[in-house]
Amino acid sequence: MLLLKLAFRNILRNRRRSLLTLLSMSGGYFLLATMISMSEGSYSHMINLFTQDHTGHVQIHYSDYLTRPSLNKTINNVDELVNNISGYPHVKSVTSRVYAPSLAYGKNKTFPAQVIGIDPKREAATTLLELKVKQGQWLSNGMSESGYFPALIGVSLATNLNLGLGDELILISQGIDGSIANDIFIITGIVGTADSYERNNVYLSLGAIKQFLAMHDQAHEVVIALDHQSRAMPFADALKLPQNLNAAPWQKIEESFYKSMQVDKKGNYISLGVIMFLVSIGVLNTVLMGTMERTREFGVLKAIGTRPKMVFMLIIMESFILALASCIVGMLLAFAPIYYLTYIGLVMPEPIDMGGVEFQIMLGEFSAFVLLVPAITVIGSTLLVSLFPALKAAKTVPVSAMQAA
Amino acid sequence: MTSVIKTINLSRHFGQGDTLVKALDEVNITIKKGEFTAIIGPSGSGKTTLLQLIGGLDETSAGNVILDDKNISDMSGQELSDFRRDHIGFVFQAYNLIPVLSAKENIEYIMLLQGVSADERHRRVEHIMAQVGLTGLASRRPTQLSGGQQQRVAIARAMVSNPSIILADEPTANLDSRTGMALIDMMKKLNEQEQMTFVFSTHDPKIMESARRIITLEDGRVVDDFVK
Ligand SMILES: Nc1ncnc2c1ncn2[C@@H]1O[C@H](COP(=O)(O)OP(=O)(O)OP(=O)(O)O)[C@@H](O)[C@H]1O
Ligand SMILES: [Mg+2]
Repeated sequence: MLLLKLAFRNILRNRRRSLLTLLSMSGGYFLLATMISMSEGSYSHMINLFTQDHTGHVQIHYSDYLTRPSLNKTINNVDELVNNISGYPHVKSVTSRVYAPSLAYGKNKTFPAQVIGIDPKREAATTLLELKVKQGQWLSNGMSESGYFPALIGVSLATNLNLGLGDELILISQGIDGSIANDIFIITGIVGTADSYERNNVYLSLGAIKQFLAMHDQAHEVVIALDHQSRAMPFADALKLPQNLNAAPWQKIEESFYKSMQVDKKGNYISLGVIMFLVSIGVLNTVLMGTMERTREFGVLKAIGTRPKMVFMLIIMESFILALASCIVGMLLAFAPIYYLTYIGLVMPEPIDMGGVEFQIMLGEFSAFVLLVPAITVIGSTLLVSLFPALKAAKTVPVSAMQAA
Repeated sequence: MTSVIKTINLSRHFGQGDTLVKALDEVNITIKKGEFTAIIGPSGSGKTTLLQLIGGLDETSAGNVILDDKNISDMSGQELSDFRRDHIGFVFQAYNLIPVLSAKENIEYIMLLQGVSADERHRRVEHIMAQVGLTGLASRRPTQLSGGQQQRVAIARAMVSNPSIILADEPTANLDSRTGMALIDMMKKLNEQEQMTFVFSTHDPKIMESARRIITLEDGRVVDDFVK
C-alpha cells in the first residue's frame, strides 16, 4: 500500500515526463496491436480463401498418395468414413473426391485434363466450387435423357477444346482394373477463370466417375472443412484412421504457402521487435533519468531504514503502473482502427498475391491475442529496462542523504 | 548508565598516497543513554563522517562502531537497514523529507515500515506533532512548509518510532539563528522528556551552548571532550 502510494505520487510528480513516457509506450502498444491485428487478420483471411477454394482444412489420403499419386492408391469404404467424420465435433462438412488424369477430346482436339469426381452436394458445402460456375449450372448426379452423364469443364480447357455448353466431351483414361476407360459426357457447366485452380479440370459426379473407372466404394481424397482453420492440426493429429490412411492439415498440404507465411510472420515480428526496442530505449532513458535525479531521495529512504528491496520494488512499481496505464490508453486508441480493419477492412489498390492466393482486401483480427500480446510485450519490456535503474536505486549509498543540498 | 554508542579506533580514510585524507583517525568515544551531545570542529574536521559511521551509512576504514551492544560492521545490508529503522533516527541539514508525502505521512513512514498498527500510528503522530508544534500542518507537503517547519517534521520523523539514538548533522545550518535556537531547545526538551540520546554536529557557538557535552574534532581526531 505504502509502495503503491509512493509509486503513484512519484509518477504524478513529474507529470510532463510521465505523460511523454506514457504516450510513447501507448504508441508502441498501438503500433503492435494494429500490426498484429492486420497480420493475423490477413493471414486467416488468406487461409480461409484457399481452404475454401479447394483444399479444405484437413485431407485424408492413402498413405503416400500426396507425394506419389496413383489411381490405385484409394481410400476404401469411403462412404462409411465420410459419414463417420461428419458426426465429429467441429466438423462443418466432409466430402470425397476421385482423381483421374485423362485425355479430353472435343471436336478435333485433344488435351490432357485432370478429371475429378465429386459429390455435388457435399462439395458445394465444403468448397466454393459451385460459385465458380460461370456458364450453365452446377453438377447433378443423374444422367441426361440422352443417357450421358453431365460434366463441368474448366474454362481454359473448354476454350482449348473449342467446346461450349451442351457439347459432347470425350474422356479417355485408365480404369482401376487396368482397362481403357472412355466415355462421352455432356458439358452442362463451365467453371473457373483463366488463372484459377480448376481451369484445366473436368468435374464429374462420383457416380459417373466410378462407373467410368470401374471403381466401387472408393475415393482418392477425403476433404474436411472445420469450423475454424486453427483446429486443423490438432484435428488431423487426433483422427483415428486405418493404418494405410493419412490425415494431413492444410499446413502440410499447402506446405509452401504455409512456410512462406511463417517466414513473413517472422519478418513482421522482427519489425515489431524493432519498434518495441526503440520504445524501450526511450523508456530506459526516462526511467534512468528519473532515478538518477532522485539519488539523494533514495539515499534518504535507505538512511531512515527502507530496505534495498523496497527501493527496488518502488522503481519497478512506478514503471509497471505507467506501463499498465499505457496499455489501457493504447487499447482505447487501437480499438477503433482494429474494429474497422476487422469488420470493414482495408481495400487495397492492387490485389496482393500470396502463395498463389490473391486477395484484394486487408482484414484485421479482433481477438484476445491481438490485445494481449502487445500488452505483455509493453509491460514486459518496460519491466526489463527498469531492472537496471531499479537496481541502481536500490544500491544507492545512504551517505548521499547527508551531502548538503 | 549504559553506553548507547561506542566507537573503537574508528577511522575513515579517503583516497590514497599523496591524496590520502584521514577524515577520521582512530576516534574513541562513548556516549551514554540520554546524553545530549554536540560535535563541533572546523569545516573538514570529520563531523559529518563521524555521524555517518555511527549511523551505519558508510563503511569504516578501520575500527568498530558498537550501538546498543551490537557491532554494526558485522551486519548485512538488510540487517543494517532494519537496525537503522528500529534504533536510529536521522535529522539532516537539508531536512530531506520525502517530497511526495505530507507532513503526517513523512512522520508515519518509518512506522509503516515497522508494521505499526493504524491506531497506534495515529496516536503517536498526533502526540509528536503536538510536541514539535506542528498541529494543523499534518496534510501539508514539504514544499508547503518553511525550513523550520520542515526540520520539525524531520525531527518528529526521527523520534516517532522511539529509536535509541538520534543523529543530527548540522540540523540548524539552513535555518536562521532564532529558528535554529528554538529547534535546539525543542530537541533538548524532548531529550529530557523521552530520555532519548541526541548527537548533533554544529558550527554555531550559540547552539553549542545548549549541549551538555561537547566533543571537538580537528583533522579527524578528538581534541577536546567537555562535559558541563
Ligand atoms: N567522499 C569523500 N571523498 C573524499 N574525501 C572526503 C569524502 N567525504 C569527506 N571527505 C573528506 O573528509 C574530511 C572530513 O569531511 P567531513 O564532511 O566529515 O567534515 P565536516 O566536519 O562535516 O565539515 P563541514 O563542517 O564542512 O560539514 C574532509 O577533508 C573531506 O574533504
Ligand atoms: Mg559536515
